[in-house]
Amino acid sequence: MSSNSFITMNNIEKAFNGVPVLKGVSLEVEKGEIHALLGENGAGKSTLMNILGGVIEPDRGTIEVNGEEVRITDTRSSQSHGISFIHQELSMVTDLRVYENMFLGSELRNKLGFLNVEEMCVQTSNILAELGVEINPKKYVRDLDTSYKQLIEISKALLHNSKLIIMDEPTSSLAEHEVKRLFDLMRNLKQSGVSIIYISHKLKEIKAVCDYYTVLRDGNVVGSGEVQVENLDNITKLMVGKSISEERFNHYSELGPVALEVTDMMSEGLFKAIDFTVRKGEIIGFIGLAGDGRTELFESIFGYRRKYSGEIKVNGQIVKMDHPYQALQAGVGFVPKDRKENAIIKDLSVIHNMSLSSLGHFEKSGMLQAKKELNTFQYYKEKLNIKVNNPRITIDKLSGGNQQKVIIAKWLEVNSDVIIFDNPTQGIDVGAKREIYQHIIELAEQGKAVIILSSEASEVLKLCQTIHVMYQGEITARLKGEETSEDEIMRYATGFRKLRYNQAFR
Amino acid sequence: MANTQAKIPNEAKKKVNVKNGLNWLWSEYSVIIAFLLIFIIASFMSPRFLDLNNQLNIFMQVSIIGIVSLGMTVVMLSGGIDLSVGSVLALVGVITVISLNASGNILIAILTAFVVGSFAGFLNGLMIAKGKIASFIATLGMMAAARSIALYTADGGSISGEVSGFTAIANRDIWIIDYPIIIFLVMTIFVYLLMQKTRFGRYVYAIGSNEKAALLSAIRVDRVKIGVYTLAGLLVSVAAIIETSRLNSISSSSSGSAYELDAIAAVIIGGTRMTGGRGKIIGTFFGVLILGILNNMMNLMNVSPHLQGFVKGLIIIVAVVFQKRD
Repeated sequence: MSSNSFITMNNIEKAFNGVPVLKGVSLEVEKGEIHALLGENGAGKSTLMNILGGVIEPDRGTIEVNGEEVRITDTRSSQSHGISFIHQELSMVTDLRVYENMFLGSELRNKLGFLNVEEMCVQTSNILAELGVEINPKKYVRDLDTSYKQLIEISKALLHNSKLIIMDEPTSSLAEHEVKRLFDLMRNLKQSGVSIIYISHKLKEIKAVCDYYTVLRDGNVVGSGEVQVENLDNITKLMVGKSISEERFNHYSELGPVALEVTDMMSEGLFKAIDFTVRKGEIIGFIGLAGDGRTELFESIFGYRRKYSGEIKVNGQIVKMDHPYQALQAGVGFVPKDRKENAIIKDLSVIHNMSLSSLGHFEKSGMLQAKKELNTFQYYKEKLNIKVNNPRITIDKLSGGNQQKVIIAKWLEVNSDVIIFDNPTQGIDVGAKREIYQHIIELAEQGKAVIILSSEASEVLKLCQTIHVMYQGEITARLKGEETSEDEIMRYATGFRKLRYNQAFR
Repeated sequence: MANTQAKIPNEAKKKVNVKNGLNWLWSEYSVIIAFLLIFIIASFMSPRFLDLNNQLNIFMQVSIIGIVSLGMTVVMLSGGIDLSVGSVLALVGVITVISLNASGNILIAILTAFVVGSFAGFLNGLMIAKGKIASFIATLGMMAAARSIALYTADGGSISGEVSGFTAIANRDIWIIDYPIIIFLVMTIFVYLLMQKTRFGRYVYAIGSNEKAALLSAIRVDRVKIGVYTLAGLLVSVAAIIETSRLNSISSSSSGSAYELDAIAAVIIGGTRMTGGRGKIIGTFFGVLILGILNNMMNLMNVSPHLQGFVKGLIIIVAVVFQKRD
């Protein structure tokens, strides 16, 4: 082993309920190295990192820190070895101030035992300044952008003198300029000798910022090496066992009549002057950076937000959307973003999540027919390739991709004419992503009108015929999917350019 | 070769299945196991415990709180709480007796009870769903208001029924089983079916687990919530009829007092999660019986009534500690 390695994990094995999740995994991270940990959901990445973070203990295998064998039994001992784990869901107390979060659990006190607020603020400012950001330490965390919350998590790790920071998909809720800020920060940390283990599904990011990579599949290391030498396609191939190119998913469906028409819609402070139409068999996209109002716009169209003016026509009928139930009745479906908060009911079983919005289909004289629900679920399980052995377990036990498929099945069963997908592949691995794109295409081919909201230009480029770019609540451009590029989209999304939308499209 | 290979994982699987099965049994039915344990201990500690009459007596005593607890379970599964059940019970009782005496008709009295109880519940639901008031606060207000109206109407005292036959509801039996026991059992089955086999029940679980996701699944959350509290009110009125009928009178000041606490205790012992979304009617049924057995045992063993609250409190906390929490 080189003397420069900070952490070495040897032949780690772990099984849950007799099912092996890690089958002898070894991982070595050097000082000042950014190491990408790759793999599909369920490959064992989280388990491996939870072992390092002290959340669970391995069944077999050793961990060395600075060449010395250590036992990590709980999160505290992990921290004492200089390891910090930044989880995908940020663990900030949003009702506390920035410095209070930074020092949570290790507050500084003066001689009298009172909190030494001034000192904590100074230290917080210093660390934040080192990272090149200026935030008032007395600001409440709830008032900050997500990217700043991420920064505070990282500062907290630095405050504890962490030598290794584990980041689990840190960019999943960040806009593109925020991602850039994070990457600059990671490079700075690297300069000062801090190692980073970076978990992500986004290969572009890996290429941009990581030095080495390790790919896990089914609990085994299937490949590792230097990022700059390796071809991205090969890494993808390792992850899924097959190659996925950056192809465009073409579909040739006949465009039917207009399914959804929105005219002059606005809501104070969220969006204004929104006009668009989508036809049956068409896939249109909405893209923008954080604060563009696209999610709010479609939550309004779905009846979740009530305060709006303007006209919504579904299949030619004017509908006043006051409640999602009206949207459902009118034929509009909505697969929301942030699956965990907005889409899945974690205490209900997989089957019951699937049937939740269409229980009428399973009723016989007022009583739900469990058999019928099961049969319908089996149909979607087959159709969408949902991987679950016992559909009676609660949905939170499935991987992100499979959860999303269940939510899609829910709206397929409702059979709406218009389906809105908000960030449909958030936190989903490459293989499942592709499947979900395929299902979206199929929906359009069956004559549904599909709307995709995304913050990733490559996603809408792959799928959409028409792309609406939003900036600060307005549609700044309508572009044809085949004719535009990521660069052009970003120019409109950042407000750099603005087209008069009507002339732009005709 | 292929056979032997297939065999090993199968056996391993079986072991895992058995282990999972036991885990599942414990997490789902720990309250029944606890019930059996307490039942066995009780039968050792007092020879009179197992006496059939004593058993029926326990059942009889828990029937009123049991019916209230069924409603409380539904409310708590939806993520709320109902503190007004005791006061509403007194109010319903008072108005039922007045209606009974005025009309001389038992059926009209019963219908009055249903209307008053459901209306109080409906108001709770309206405040919580449409007024966006926390259930704790809304039902706290209802608790004070309902008791006050009951006291005012009955001038602070008790009122008695003057129609013969009304007492039959709580004091007659079929074979040797008293009507209240039968009503409790029927209500348990009714609420069980409602929660497990109907849309309404599914929606209640969904709302209790994740209200935002339920709303985004196009569930009419407000309506379901109003339905939940109305149902709880209706069940309180059933309990009020039994309570009034038992002694042919109702006390506006003391009837139903602290019932909300007993009901919440039964629901919690029964394994329903305070924050909603998880729990079972069957659990509450056994939770109620556990409380009943404890009371009975302490009476049989001549424990001072002043100490009974202490033991009950202890058991509630122990029960919750032993239940699998997540």
